[in-house]
Amino acid sequence: MKQNKQQRNNDRRVSLWQLFWTLFKTGLFTFGGGYAMISILEEELVSKKKWMTSQDMLDMLVIAESTPGVIAVNTATSVGFRMRGVLGAVVATIGVVLPSFVIITALSYFIQAFADNLWYKAAFTGVQACVTILVVNAFVKMFRQLERGWFSALLTVAAFDIALFTDFNVIFLILIGGIFGILYVVIADAVIAKRNKSLPLEQSEIIEEQPRDNDERTDGSSHNGGDR
Amino acid sequence: MIYLVLFWEYFKVGLFTIGGGYAMLPLVTQIVTKHNWLTEQQLIDFIGVAESTPGPFAINLATFVGNTVGSATSLGVFGGILGSLIATFAVVLPSLVIIIVVTLLFDKFRSNRYVRGALKGIRPVVVGLILSAVFTVAAKVILPEFDFKHIRADGVSQFNWISLIIICVFAPLSQIRIQGKKIHPICLILLSAVIGIVLFGAFRLQQ
Repeated sequence: MKQNKQQRNNDRRVSLWQLFWTLFKTGLFTFGGGYAMISILEEELVSKKKWMTSQDMLDMLVIAESTPGVIAVNTATSVGFRMRGVLGAVVATIGVVLPSFVIITALSYFIQAFADNLWYKAAFTGVQACVTILVVNAFVKMFRQLERGWFSALLTVAAFDIALFTDFNVIFLILIGGIFGILYVVIADAVIAKRNKSLPLEQSEIIEEQPRDNDERTDGSSHNGGDR
Repeated sequence: MIYLVLFWEYFKVGLFTIGGGYAMLPLVTQIVTKHNWLTEQQLIDFIGVAESTPGPFAINLATFVGNTVGSATSLGVFGGILGSLIATFAVVLPSLVIIIVVTLLFDKFRSNRYVRGALKGIRPVVVGLILSAVFTVAAKVILPEFDFKHIRADGVSQFNWISLIIICVFAPLSQIRIQGKKIHPICLILLSAVIGIVLFGAFRLQQ
């Protein structure tokens, strides 16, 4: 811990070994789909090491979710690339994949005995319950990074419902979200342009500045009044 | 050369599935049965293992398929390791290239009005997807028979109350701050494994 801090102070650059080790730990404690790892990555990269912000994290998830491939690997590659370029991407990817590789290779020789082991099942049932909470925490963290307002809220709820209750393809959800986002910007621009058109430019400026003028005037008049 | 086929097939899996590991499953099933690498039953059995072992689900599956294919060759154990290396590498390779390119483009165009607009729409969708994952995972843990996509009355026939208790204990536990720091998620996972062994183990021994 102390060493990490010193390193950070001496050299802002993340070492390849640190990158590998962080992603290795993440890979080792990821269960099921990629979402469980968000909490671990948040803790490691944002809270503890401060390599990035939660906002960066959400944007990385956006990229990981909207590109082909395993989400966990996409996220790891993205982290590695941001930290240390192409070499970082390779190292981070190897890190996140290595635990799977070693464990499954070792297990594949006695998979049946393993699958039937009651104690392991018991442990895993506990882990699954914990993973549920980790995904909840990941959701809360990421939800806080969203812009406030009806637009975000509506899209979140719509995407949630469609993803949960239907077999609708995720990539189309993301595409539709993107299209809505662009439409929002275009419409907002059009509304502003129209408003500016209906009022001559000088006039709109005057309207905006009027309150300040009034203040000055009342200040001035009261001042004058005092003089008199 | 079977390794080339393995590489090519898994490369396609990595390239053409969007939406994470579980979205890969139909394609993997198709490939594996087409080449007679695994029977469907073998695959289904392994899916349970892949979910419960550490590591992303899809990578576990790729390693296993590669290992099985490789072990069947004359190279034996060494072939198994080679096979799992090839399958894992193949499924990861498209990600590596695509993510690097997309990240570069993203950084270049993120200040563009329309890219920002698109992000404004995609971010809530991704957060909504995470929320749906919350419900899927929670249902799997508490109500193993329940399926949100095909809701039926018998979906609530099994109720895992011990899991519910663990969830209720871990929810506040994950928020507690000790000396200003939250408990590390990895510690929580280790702790939950121990609690699982104690609770479920005791429960099973009683029966």
